[in-house]
Amino acid sequence: MSSGQVYYLTTLLVYAGVDAMACIALNLQFGISGLVNFGFIVFQAAGAYTAAVLSMPPANGGFQQYILGLRLPFPLPWLGGAAVGGLLAVPVGLVVLRRLRSDYQAIALLVLSVIANTVITNARGFLNGAAGLSLVPPPLSGVVNTETVWYQWLYAGLTALGCAIVYVAAGRIINSPYGRTLRAMRERELAAAALGKNLVTLKMTMFVVGGVIAGLSGAILVGFIGVWAPATWLYPETIVLFAALIVGGRGNNLGAVLGALLVPVGFEEATRFIPAVGPPGLIPALQWVAIGLLIIAFLWYRPQGTMAEPRRVFGGPGPAPPARPRQHHEAVAPAAAADRGPPLLRTEEVERWFEGLRAVDGVSIAVEAGRITGLIGPNGAGKSTLLAMLAGTLQPSAGRIFLDGRDVTRLPAYQRAQRGLARTFQLSSEFAHLTVMENLLVAVPRQPGDSLFGALRGKSFWGEDERVLVEDARELLARFRMSAAESAYAGDLSGGQKRLVEIMRALMLRPRVLLLDEPMAGVHSSVVEEIASSLETLRREGLAILMVEHELSMVDRLCDPVIVMAQGKIIGRGSMSSLRRQREIVDAYLVG
Amino acid sequence: MSIYLAALGFGLVSTAVIAIAAVGFTMQFGITNMINLAYGEVMIAAAFLAYGLNHAGLSIWIGLVFAALFGAAVSVVVNRALYAPFQRRGASPIGMVIISLAAALILANVLLAVVGPDNVSYTVSDAAAVSAGSFILTSVQVVIIVVAVAAMVAIHALLTFTRLGKAMRATAANAALARNCGIPTGRIMDIVWMITGGLCGVAGTVAAIDSGSFAVGNGASYLIVILAAAVLGGAGQPYGAMVGAALIGEITELSAAALSPEYKAVIAFGILVLVMIVRPQGLFSKTGALGAAG
Repeated sequence: MSSGQVYYLTTLLVYAGVDAMACIALNLQFGISGLVNFGFIVFQAAGAYTAAVLSMPPANGGFQQYILGLRLPFPLPWLGGAAVGGLLAVPVGLVVLRRLRSDYQAIALLVLSVIANTVITNARGFLNGAAGLSLVPPPLSGVVNTETVWYQWLYAGLTALGCAIVYVAAGRIINSPYGRTLRAMRERELAAAALGKNLVTLKMTMFVVGGVIAGLSGAILVGFIGVWAPATWLYPETIVLFAALIVGGRGNNLGAVLGALLVPVGFEEATRFIPAVGPPGLIPALQWVAIGLLIIAFLWYRPQGTMAEPRRVFGGPGPAPPARPRQHHEAVAPAAAADRGPPLLRTEEVERWFEGLRAVDGVSIAVEAGRITGLIGPNGAGKSTLLAMLAGTLQPSAGRIFLDGRDVTRLPAYQRAQRGLARTFQLSSEFAHLTVMENLLVAVPRQPGDSLFGALRGKSFWGEDERVLVEDARELLARFRMSAAESAYAGDLSGGQKRLVEIMRALMLRPRVLLLDEPMAGVHSSVVEEIASSLETLRREGLAILMVEHELSMVDRLCDPVIVMAQGKIIGRGSMSSLRRQREIVDAYLVG
Repeated sequence: MSIYLAALGFGLVSTAVIAIAAVGFTMQFGITNMINLAYGEVMIAAAFLAYGLNHAGLSIWIGLVFAALFGAAVSVVVNRALYAPFQRRGASPIGMVIISLAAALILANVLLAVVGPDNVSYTVSDAAAVSAGSFILTSVQVVIIVVAVAAMVAIHALLTFTRLGKAMRATAANAALARNCGIPTGRIMDIVWMITGGLCGVAGTVAAIDSGSFAVGNGASYLIVILAAAVLGGAGQPYGAMVGAALIGEITELSAAALSPEYKAVIAFGILVLVMIVRPQGLFSKTGALGAAG
């Protein structure tokens, strides 16, 4: 190989490695967690600038102005770049990720990208403004001769090493219980929060992880090309990476790498060989048009990308695990249930107004262990609003809510879930692109692999616990006659099956209090019987259940006491038979 | 002090420009549920059409009319050909944002291939029409303000007094229900894209007049200012966008007088960030940027 060819090849390899790292990071954020980081390139730029000013000599009033200039030895500039990429993600994430709707998040980040570029361009003394930094010393300069072919190969090798580390780490995150939690958040945030997942922490973590990888990729790139200027990180560069991920396959680690090879690398290289036609700038402009068309075409014809997200199928039952009774945590013994201690869940005069409408108006209820409390009433009575306030998805306008004697009125949904409160939703809220098995597993609290560091330690750290959980889940699936659907995507199930998945998912949380919003609606009658008998079992085991239901025969059979609501107020409570004797309740609901 | 008085005048013109743009943008979002990131690029494309006509010897005001027609046509076509099919398939709001960003990229670069990257400017008269000390408005600027006021009054009248406006508001509130009540929502959508696209075309041209010279690259910075005004006023709220435009217009011009004109967009962004932290739903909306949306 001539040295020209070596330079071309190694340059290609370094670019491929950098783009692959960027796409892997973007896949963690967008493909896995559903975060649309339109400002991604800013984090790469932050890493590049950091690595540059850490490795450059102090600015001496020459043609460049910049801060720092610490002349640090390799690998400190690379590590610094990664660190700054991650650190930058913290304030940005705190502003953008906490309260904003996801489409606004995307826009805020896009705007950030444009503005950051404007600021750096105009603030000349900071990072040399529009001209940017040049003469960035390559890593190990002074230690080895950086002008040799050998050094080119060394750099490509170091890039490959960085890329491999990132690829393995990302793979561990994606395939762990933590990755499953992230994907559940991507599918349906409200339901993930109801399972005790702290969405803000999850998003912030992935934002920082992505920032670290982006920063590292920028540091590697700037060490190789030796220059970095605002023109290299305009916001459309992020769109190229999105295009790469959409083409390669969202949610697929290998797909991210493939996308990086196809779009930024392959595309740029292919257009080198197009003869220059038209005025200068025509070919690059058309290249951008093609990127836009590529995104739209893939989203229309093959939204899953070249390599779709893999379906997770769990292996057959291994050696029979030691028989373990299913436990609800701190399950109350039946005897205790008979004692009827203080109610597990209680409200005091809760109210909720929507612009003058009192949806719930001074409601006090108590949900006791070992009983199924029914909640009935005509449409618009405020039942679902009450349930949402109990679960923490809706803040009460007034009044207080106690869970196990503790005031939880101000606690968010995920913290209530962590304290043993599970719920199902009136509208089906399965995690569509997770299998039924994954839908169940994701609910289990305190899994060793359900944290960033647990995930990074690999399957040997969490695999054993996972096997036990899979057996638990299979037991539950068998009980609800859903074993055959174990590896089906929950989104492909019928309405009734989705409902079952939701109930099973809530049970996997091992709750002490269970809120059910019309669990029988839309469910086949044979399955209704299944649900009813398992609710009876759960009641025996000491669970406190609150159930909204319209099917009065079921309420009759399962619920005692029954609470009747109308127009936001409680109009009666007691056993079903006593309620039937009360004239106004019959008028309000039971008949009309 | 006189520099601030002059800035106040500039701010008035900026307000007019931003108001036209932001009302169109926010109505698109409010009624069609589409955060159309290609809006800035349609603006700049319309401005270039007006430039072509102006360059050929026509008055810029005739160019303005054609820019409005062009903006309307392009917007209807982009919606029919791209946005509506994806929305019918049930693409999430976030998916639609990505698609509109791809559309922006395509529009900007097709335009770049056609007209090139250079800055151009219109031939307009710059005789002073109104002056009080250093507070000076040229006759062109006065016309811009008049156009803006006329557009705002027309939008207000449309939404408040006409059946069409009522149908638009019904579609915005609940498209499925509106359809079931016999409102032809498909046609309403076309009309909405036509009206907002027309506003977009007008906005692009007056923005280009106001800024003196312009190039394809300006589309993104237009978009930021518009986003800031629309979010500040509460996304989807036309009257909010008007107030947002006044605040952004005056604040950016006054700060440009105090600091440096390069930071106009940065100031607009600062306001945007502040609103997103303190009051994400904007000044005049109850939900807006808050809450889950896929």
